[in-house]
Amino acid sequence: MTRWLLAAVCLSLAGCGPLKTHEQIIHDGLVYCSEGNPESFNPQLDTSGTTVDATSAQLYNRLIDYDAEQQIFVPGLAHRWETLDQGQRYRFHLRQQVNFHHTPWFSPTRPFQAEDVLFSFQRWLDPQHPYHTINGGQYPFFRASGLMQLIARIEIIDPWTVDFVLTRIDSSFLANLATDFAVILSAEYAQQLTEQGTPELLDRQPVGTGPFQFIEFRKDSFIRYAANPSYWQGKPAVNHLVYAITPNANKRMLKLLTGECDVIAYPLVQELEQLDDNTTIKVTRSASPNRAFWAFNTARPPFDQTLVRQALAHAINRPAMIQTIYHGQAQLAAGILPSTSWAYQANATGYPYDPQRAKELLKQAGFPNGFTMSIWAPAIQRVYNPNALRMAELMQADLAQVGIEAQIISYEWNTFRQRMARGEHDTALIGWVADNADPDNFLRPLLSCEAVRSGANRTNWCDPDFDQQLLAAIQLTDKEQRQQLYQRIETHVMHQVPLLPIASSLRFEAHRQNITGVELPPYGGIRFGNARRLTHVPL
Amino acid sequence: MFRFSLRRILLFSITLWLLSIFTFSLNYWYPGNTLTNMSGVTPAMDTYHDEANARAMDSTIFRQYGQYIAHLTRGDWGLSLTSQEPVFPRLMQQLGATVELMILGALLAVLVGVPLGVYAALQQRQWQDRLILSLSLSTYSIPVFWFAQLAILLFAIQLDWSPVTGQIHPLYAIDTQTGSILVDIWLSDIPYRASAWVNALKHLWLPTLVVALIPLTMLVRMIRSAVLDTLQLNHIKAARVRGLSDRTILVKHVLPTSIQPVLREAGLQFSVLVTNIMIVEVIFNWPGIGSALVKSIFERDYPVLQGGVICLAMLILAVNFAVDLIHAWRFPQVRDVIDED
Repeated sequence: MTRWLLAAVCLSLAGCGPLKTHEQIIHDGLVYCSEGNPESFNPQLDTSGTTVDATSAQLYNRLIDYDAEQQIFVPGLAHRWETLDQGQRYRFHLRQQVNFHHTPWFSPTRPFQAEDVLFSFQRWLDPQHPYHTINGGQYPFFRASGLMQLIARIEIIDPWTVDFVLTRIDSSFLANLATDFAVILSAEYAQQLTEQGTPELLDRQPVGTGPFQFIEFRKDSFIRYAANPSYWQGKPAVNHLVYAITPNANKRMLKLLTGECDVIAYPLVQELEQLDDNTTIKVTRSASPNRAFWAFNTARPPFDQTLVRQALAHAINRPAMIQTIYHGQAQLAAGILPSTSWAYQANATGYPYDPQRAKELLKQAGFPNGFTMSIWAPAIQRVYNPNALRMAELMQADLAQVGIEAQIISYEWNTFRQRMARGEHDTALIGWVADNADPDNFLRPLLSCEAVRSGANRTNWCDPDFDQQLLAAIQLTDKEQRQQLYQRIETHVMHQVPLLPIASSLRFEAHRQNITGVELPPYGGIRFGNARRLTHVPL
Repeated sequence: MFRFSLRRILLFSITLWLLSIFTFSLNYWYPGNTLTNMSGVTPAMDTYHDEANARAMDSTIFRQYGQYIAHLTRGDWGLSLTSQEPVFPRLMQQLGATVELMILGALLAVLVGVPLGVYAALQQRQWQDRLILSLSLSTYSIPVFWFAQLAILLFAIQLDWSPVTGQIHPLYAIDTQTGSILVDIWLSDIPYRASAWVNALKHLWLPTLVVALIPLTMLVRMIRSAVLDTLQLNHIKAARVRGLSDRTILVKHVLPTSIQPVLREAGLQFSVLVTNIMIVEVIFNWPGIGSALVKSIFERDYPVLQGGVICLAMLILAVNFAVDLIHAWRFPQVRDVIDED
């Protein structure tokens, strides 16, 4: 008997020993189950939400940030800024004593300075810059948002003062600077890489000023970050941040339930109510300035005909999709601008579901017997569309009613985007999440001629008249005048329907009850800088 | 034996050569730029012309094939089209993860399957035999992907005995060196090695079980019938007549003879095991070569796709080759039979 007891005690001790350390390890870190691989570790290079979520707010800082709650700009790496020359020159006073990450591959010898700002912007502004063509040389956000044309030059006044000179007055300039894409890189690190002859590492082995520093990335498995001990806003409470890459939404849910994930991206919309009932899990819903839309590739016939596009817009039953795809957790989109935008007009005319009208329009366009086409739908969940494949199937059925035979095509997400940028699609179910609150951000990056060139315009629709009006709108400083102009623009676009807005979804994130401080700003990616794990669950 | 080995080696080399021709031709059959398919170097890269020269792209197809083989044997398998990383070192790590699962699964299958099969044979037509047989038949009929999902639901979600997916909890910072998690923990110098072992084993047992299941049930049935056949042989009867104990007869005479047909079959079953491992890897997010292969198909990542195919095909060929050799070495009577095939 005593022998058994002794054995039992030994066993339990052996069991407890490592377990205790296990708890320490877990307590020290946080696991975020993300939906896919980032394309790179620099958000300047692409606009994918996955890349932004993985990098921007964790690794980097921006000159200024946007506080969506108070609707104001707040200091980032610039602690103060002012407008000179009637709004054509912006002067930023930089924060001193901000350090770049100290990593095994880079030891900074100096703190953050104006030179770093110059490098970070010149890289994409100046086609002659040595780093311009490194890792693709595509800067879709800056090209599509017009920042490339807007910034005439950047002047260093002294190590902690930098001036941006604009080609014209632009009311959206600050909003663009506050986006997740306008990150600040280290000029010193870039120089070191040039000397080593490995400039491509700039975007793969990143160095920034953000709350976390990069440790390791294993494709399809994880990204490992560690807290930046000398972060200028104070060391984050979480020491180790791991992105466990879990593309399957069901698995993310299961792993959240078992506690393998602390926070998950894109919980399944149809399971949300069940999660609400679970006391160990918390779901946060937030309004998100996003739009799911159906883009018609106007470079390919017959989608170059307005009548055909209008017919297609009438042919699909969007209210049904709100119920089946979004489970009611979304708003039907009337126009291009979301209802959260100040320029939104409530009386926008949409395209009601009307198969009869669609058939008539098709007949007018010269397709009385319909035609065959393809619908491209991504296989992964996005903020704006929880299940694009299912949506495509519904549309397939709707289109069959008006005699159009639609084929559904899907690729892995990054491949999907690359092929779409090359214009290989007929139509695509895609969407957009605004990066800043300016209405310009919903129109120019999506539909301008400039965006056609950068590949971000999924419709390849280029209307110089539309571009002209956008330009006029952005130079106005009077909000009311701007609003009127945007409404005119919107009416024009909705008549042409290069894309059909479908819905704007709420944004969800689910986390374990003992995690707090995970931020999900409406304009931008997830932020872990203030996240922490509570030892005891608050009652 | 020498003649036999020579023939096997020749056959093995010819198969490898055919495999290399096949993978080489794939580069031309895939859509897009042949050089990019082969090396992962896109025309936009600075190194494109060097790579084109190195692979003799402007020369004859025979020289291109020669360069292709030279690159393969050098371990230069090109770059991944999605991550721009060299394919070979990554594949070797993934191979480590796969082989770990493979060895453990096969081990479990042998350790449980052989005794069960022998026991069933000894209890022929008793209820134990019937139970084992019907159980093995019904488990054999469950598809792996279905069984894996059920196992996750039961053991991970309901009972919480195992995590849902992965090799180890991601917060354990284990450097990936070999890809096999147990070996990597052993090689690492982390202070919390003991708890890392515990955690890795917790992740490991469920996929191992799922991988082992089909080979296990196969083994049970093969061993059972082999033992039953052997028991009918004259030398066993003779041993029994001489009064040898049941135990001695079983261990010294029945088992060694029964292994022979099973061993031959086991080599053929290996490719089934590999197929199952690929499915299990995808379901359990196991960072092995199978899930990499499936992923590369979705991503149209031709260099990785090709590398994965070569790796797995070579593994299957090598194991079959080894099984053949062991078989012939251990059972001289089959050498001529196999040769005649």
